[in-house]
Amino acid sequence: MFASVPSATILGAEGYPVVVEVHVGGGLPAFSMVGLPDESCREARDRVRAAIESTDRSWPQKRIVVNLAPPRHRKVGSGLDLAMAVGVLVAAGDIEPTAVRGLGFVGELGLDGSVRGVPGVAPMVGVLGELDVVVPVASLAEARVAARAGVRPVAHLSEVIAALTAEAPWPDHDESTTTTPHDQVPDLADVRGQPVPRRALEIAAAGGHHLLFVGPPGSGKTMLAQRLPGILPPLDRETALRSTMVHSAAGIPLPPGGLVRRPPFRSPHHTSSLVSIVGGGSSAMRPGEASIAHGGVLLLDELGEFPVGVLDALRQPLEEGAIHVARANSRAVLPARFLLVGATNPCPCGGGAPGECQCDDVRRQRYLRRLSGPLLDRFDLRVAVHRPGIDELIDGRGGESSAVVARRVERARAISNERGPLNGQLTGAELDRWAPLSDGARARLRHEMERGRLSGRGYHRIRRVARTLADLDPEPVEIVSESHVVEALSLRTRLGSSAGSAPERVA
Amino acid sequence: MTGPEVSDGVPEEAYVAVLAGLSGMGPRRLRALLSHHVPSEAHAVVGGSAPPHPSVQRLLDSRRSGVHLGSTWRAEVARVDPAEVWSRCVRAGVMVVPYGSARYPTALLHDPVPPAVLFVRGDLTVLDRRRVGVIGTRNATRNGIATAEALGADLAAAGVTVVSGLASGIDGAAHRGAVRASGSPAAVVGNGPDRAYPRQHGQLWEEVAALGVLMSEWPPGVAPDAFRFPMRNRILAALSEVLVVVESRERGGSLLTVREAADRSVTVMAVPGSPRSRSSAGTNQLLCDGVAPVTCTDDILMALGLDTRRAGRAAFDPRPAPLGLEVAVLARCRRDPCTIDHVVDELGVTVAEAAMALARLERSGWLGESGGWFEVLEPWAMVP
Repeated sequence: MFASVPSATILGAEGYPVVVEVHVGGGLPAFSMVGLPDESCREARDRVRAAIESTDRSWPQKRIVVNLAPPRHRKVGSGLDLAMAVGVLVAAGDIEPTAVRGLGFVGELGLDGSVRGVPGVAPMVGVLGELDVVVPVASLAEARVAARAGVRPVAHLSEVIAALTAEAPWPDHDESTTTTPHDQVPDLADVRGQPVPRRALEIAAAGGHHLLFVGPPGSGKTMLAQRLPGILPPLDRETALRSTMVHSAAGIPLPPGGLVRRPPFRSPHHTSSLVSIVGGGSSAMRPGEASIAHGGVLLLDELGEFPVGVLDALRQPLEEGAIHVARANSRAVLPARFLLVGATNPCPCGGGAPGECQCDDVRRQRYLRRLSGPLLDRFDLRVAVHRPGIDELIDGRGGESSAVVARRVERARAISNERGPLNGQLTGAELDRWAPLSDGARARLRHEMERGRLSGRGYHRIRRVARTLADLDPEPVEIVSESHVVEALSLRTRLGSSAGSAPERVA
Repeated sequence: MTGPEVSDGVPEEAYVAVLAGLSGMGPRRLRALLSHHVPSEAHAVVGGSAPPHPSVQRLLDSRRSGVHLGSTWRAEVARVDPAEVWSRCVRAGVMVVPYGSARYPTALLHDPVPPAVLFVRGDLTVLDRRRVGVIGTRNATRNGIATAEALGADLAAAGVTVVSGLASGIDGAAHRGAVRASGSPAAVVGNGPDRAYPRQHGQLWEEVAALGVLMSEWPPGVAPDAFRFPMRNRILAALSEVLVVVESRERGGSLLTVREAADRSVTVMAVPGSPRSRSSAGTNQLLCDGVAPVTCTDDILMALGLDTRRAGRAAFDPRPAPLGLEVAVLARCRRDPCTIDHVVDELGVTVAEAAMALARLERSGWLGESGGWFEVLEPWAMVP
């Protein structure tokens, strides 16, 4: 007796179709599973047996072989439970083989027969193509996003059996019960004072510039960074789908409606491991924080405290917008195009007004050395954040709301979209073409370079930011003027020069 | 002894001038003469028409290089008309300041060998300021000239009176620098103050006399004889609080001045030079002997105990005056160091405007930036 039931497993942020073949034949009662299941998959045997017995069906006292085809890939997770249970029942003759034709099954079983959600339902449903997919009620929303055919939500194995044996129709589960509350994005209007960091957020959002906040503890770096997603435009359809897949694969609760439309915001702690940030690890190649932030913001608070390996690993996604994770027998490409926001203290003690820093040069240099190098080069904007004064905290007026800023951002993005890539990704040649400098602007940049305060790389960064500033003008202009350049220069604080004695780092 | 007496409309100072110009009349002899007689009487004594004081008699009887002083002087005095000497003083604008006069420089009052009289052009009060002597060889290198001129200018700009000898080479260069910086130089010369020596310093003499003071121990008309310069050097050393030797040969006249300075406990400093330059042989030897080196003007000001940063330098501020918003921004920064955030918040301007104003002020040297904070820079803190 043989049954073949379509299901799927996940690798990285992509689903792979798996056919669960079940053979129930003669011999001593036994249950064996082949086809490269991993440990969580192998445990399915006990869950499937208990679940079937909880529905008052008897477990066939025969030799049962489950094959997960194709056997090349390692199968991960408990999402194959439901398909196995159905396969056993079909092979045992409890369900007609014709009843499962045109259906795919994804879901985990509880010992009581309940069908539970698993991470990655969206990509898994996506690869099942034209099949109607039976999914756990908990995963209904994300399944709907990815499904190209029908979706049949179920809460219990008995419902599945009843439907397949035509004893009852497919249950009709209320979708609203599957939604999880989505937290509100904090608003920029809450920020008191801080005009320059606010402006930097607006520029970062409009031009897609990576942003580094440099400031003492308690100056509001994190608070400011959290408000960046609120002024970013909503994700386009393609990015939203990819984000949804990643979120689903990573087991992140999805917003109502299932589709990730708002730019995500991720803020991993600096003790996070390399794998948790770039992805990989188990054979499922779980997406890391960098991928979860795809289309949104990745905040690295206390940038200098992150292990050097983690910061180095971020260079690939910053360049390519994707992370390639390769292991001995599998390879995955995870999307990771995010806006990087770094936050760091200017020195170990936190610094402050001139003369307040207590660190000696050696300590300060050692601290900044961790930040130095190629990663620092990615930040077009390096903004000094200062502790707001008491007056500002108590009497300060809240600034513009996120909605107002978001409108300007959207307008500026519309301008740059006509040109092509975001300003933050413009190359030197593209800058020459799209960001011509006025004479005054050129003279100012020359002055800065002659004084040794601007390097060649810094020159391009300033021009990119100045391009965005020109786009943000109430009357957007094609030629970048001196005031744009000067403002861009003021948004590029130098590190390591908080005390006069410290050697200046040319940035 | 009679009281002050004016005969033929000639003032007492005229007789001092006549006596000071006599050959063999040095500061000691003149002081001895004048301490026992008023000038006109002394004139008469020397001329033989009045009885001398007993100790003056001994002086007149003494001999100098085998020549009887009394008779030499009597012959010379007979040839000189006090009225003519006086009119020469008046024409040259020379003031006669005898020892004991209220105008006599205090720095010389307690000198071991104070000049008996000073013939002065200009304003003696410039000696009330801090005084630094800048001296050196007449055979100076271009480098030495430039150094002396720069030191002269910087010291003058710091409000210090530059004392020197108006000779060619280093001395003249130091004074030129002081004049250029509109300082108040003081010159001690070795001949009569009415005639420039060397000739090519004619204009410089006039400028020094106009801006500061030019003085001599010798009356107008006295020629620049070689023996007068070492005597001049002792006054120069006595007038200096710090004596800077810019360049000197291994046995130069400047080293005599240094010895005079050492006798008077005046601080001596020297500008180091190349071991291959003969013009620096003397100064380098001085350094070996332990005088302090001069590497910049501040070294000298420090030796004077002056606050090197403030010394009168605020007089000229070359920075362009702030305009428009910059005025308000600068005023804000004067209160305490601030960031762009402060400027934007407190002045109610946009980030771009604030950045522009701060950048302009920083570029013109009014503000300095460090770690995003802007501080007002004082003129002396400017990096050129």
